Amino acid sequence: MSADFCQRLGRRLGQRLGAAALGQADYRRQGYHLRLELAPDHLRELAAMMAEEGCYLEYITAVDRGGHLELAYVFGRHQEACRLLALAAVPKGQGVLSIAGVFPAADWQEREVFDMLGQRFIGHPNLKRILLPEDADFHPLLRDFQAGPELGGDEMEI
Amino acid sequence: MHRQALTEDTFYLNLGPQHPSTHGVLRLLLRLDGERIVECQPILGYSHRGHEHMAQNRTYLQFMPNPCRMDYLSGLMYNHAYCLALERACGLEVPARAEHLRVICAELNRISSHLLWFGAYLMDLGAFTPFLYAFDDREDILAILGLATGSRLTYSYCRFGGVRDDVGQDFLEGIRAFIPKMRARLKDYDTLVTRNVIFVNRTQGVGVISPELARAHALTGPCLRASGVGYDIRKAEPYGLYPELDFDIPVRAGGDCLDRYLVRVLEIEQSLRIIEQAMARLPGGPVKATGVPQFITPPPGLYHTSYETARGHLGIFLAADGTRVPYRLKFRVPSFGNLGILPKLLPGTLVADTIAILGSMDVVMPEIDR
Amino acid sequence: MVGHRQEAPPVSLAVLSQVLDAVRANSLWPLTFGLACCAIEMMAAGAARFDLDRFGAGVFRPSPRQSDVMIVAGTISRKMAAIVVTLYDQMPAPKWVIAMGNCAIGGGPFTYPGQYAIVNGADKILPVDIFVPGCPPRPEALIQGMLELQDRLTQGGRTNLLRRFARYPRRAEPGGRP
Ligand code: SF4
Repeated sequence: MSADFCQRLGRRLGQRLGAAALGQADYRRQGYHLRLELAPDHLRELAAMMAEEGCYLEYITAVDRGGHLELAYVFGRHQEACRLLALAAVPKGQGVLSIAGVFPAADWQEREVFDMLGQRFIGHPNLKRILLPEDADFHPLLRDFQAGPELGGDEMEI
Repeated sequence: MHRQALTEDTFYLNLGPQHPSTHGVLRLLLRLDGERIVECQPILGYSHRGHEHMAQNRTYLQFMPNPCRMDYLSGLMYNHAYCLALERACGLEVPARAEHLRVICAELNRISSHLLWFGAYLMDLGAFTPFLYAFDDREDILAILGLATGSRLTYSYCRFGGVRDDVGQDFLEGIRAFIPKMRARLKDYDTLVTRNVIFVNRTQGVGVISPELARAHALTGPCLRASGVGYDIRKAEPYGLYPELDFDIPVRAGGDCLDRYLVRVLEIEQSLRIIEQAMARLPGGPVKATGVPQFITPPPGLYHTSYETARGHLGIFLAADGTRVPYRLKFRVPSFGNLGILPKLLPGTLVADTIAILGSMDVVMPEIDR
Repeated sequence: MVGHRQEAPPVSLAVLSQVLDAVRANSLWPLTFGLACCAIEMMAAGAARFDLDRFGAGVFRPSPRQSDVMIVAGTISRKMAAIVVTLYDQMPAPKWVIAMGNCAIGGGPFTYPGQYAIVNGADKILPVDIFVPGCPPRPEALIQGMLELQDRLTQGGRTNLLRRFARYPRRAEPGGRP
């Protein structure tokens, strides 16, 4: 049953978003069934499709790959095991469309990605820092982030 | 329903970050109209410790003590999940005895987590006695786990390809004595709490979450199962020993605080069943795989691992680059989703219900803030 | 003033203050306030089995204005640091601070070159009286810390007439009390 749904979903995604980008994954090793690389412009469309299919947004994260951020959207499903990993490469400093309107869970997830890696989400209702203090001026998970001496923890000014 | 317009009754209430019922350091900014909540804005990050940044500066083995300090109530499960993630990525096999011990310890940990929640939740609602009962039982579990792991709270018992050490006879004896005692205690809890009129009145029909809402907000764990969706990673994507064990996933349809309570209490019983079965079939043999390299290096790629902790679906996302250090390690923590529903759920309820609803979600703040 | 000999005060309050200290030492009221993992062990210390109440220190108060001991149980993040100080300021004097766990002592496992998120120890922002090491410390260790604090208030326990049990043998402190 699970394989059926996954195959159908894969076909549908391939038709709508370009079949070339869709790859199968080794679930036993990698933990997801489908892997999709898509252009950032298609993220909203993907989210709408996943919502239609009755999937839920597990999380959003991003990996700093030097010149660009690799955004990773992971969708899961309650009824059967079918996990989709959608990857979108976004040049640093460029915004992508927010999917918080489609999945309310994306609200905080996107705020976290913004907070940790500085990715802006266009159309997000409240894109503020979520974990770090609001006046922080750095994004700690960027590879070139270096904690300065003022953050070293030994001196603290209140 | 509450009035929308701003009246002279509108005022702001700041709940936390130091508040006995916010379970750590959550801060809720509430806009009130009289006693009714108009708007709720959770403010997180008061226990942000930079685990994910630390992961990028540590080898895989050096990072081992960190996961169990994220959600310290499910420490052993986080530890198990982290090892599972790397074992899958590297293709390591785990000996059967180690798998059994892991499941036994993880389920004991699940019970202790639920017990702590049970005590703390009832204390939030104004009952002090269950807290003492629950902590008493919890100490039994901690003593047993201490024999195997040497720790009370932050366990690093699992190792890549096995567990740290074999257990002794005292560990097994302890569990055999504990199971019937816990069963008897569950009956006590039932009479003490579950049928208590005050408790039922404070929780029944409060904070109702529909299955659709739960899915949209990515709820998992007991919070989701109380809304009628029987989604549990142990069944949906079984790992370790779980495919071979016989247990049920308690599901309730009401979606209110009472159902979230009941799901957790029923889960304790199921965990006891799992432990019994794993104990009965505990094989001999080694507890550690041989030939695990000192520095494990997963091949480059993106990996995901799912795990069911006491709070729900834990996902570990690993971007490996073929070195000894994770390139990026992200934890999808269950409480993050479970708490995210509060701004949707609280408006329209009374301030007193805030505590009942927040407590019933069972969030652990350092897990959310990481 | 140079060469001026200190006169004894006309009324000596030493005995009174000793009595007061003995009273304070035997009813320390900690602030309910947990930051991370160590807070669970603090709860365990207050619950059945360990029962801090045996030592008069089990009345956890949720309000800083009613408490006189702050147990810093857990990691102090940068975002939380100012709030911890505010809480301390809100407590009425005399007040004491126990740093529980390695995080509160010196950043614990989260100290590494390049960390950005935490304050390396409660003593960076608060005057700490007692340090209780461990990650997390066992409840017994916290109780030991409480007794240590009581002793500190009562001159090594000598004026603590309410202490109903034998003290553990202690090493002589260099240049200090026996
Ligand atoms: S000392 Fe250890 S147990 Fe205590 S808060 Fe720090 S990490 Fe957690």
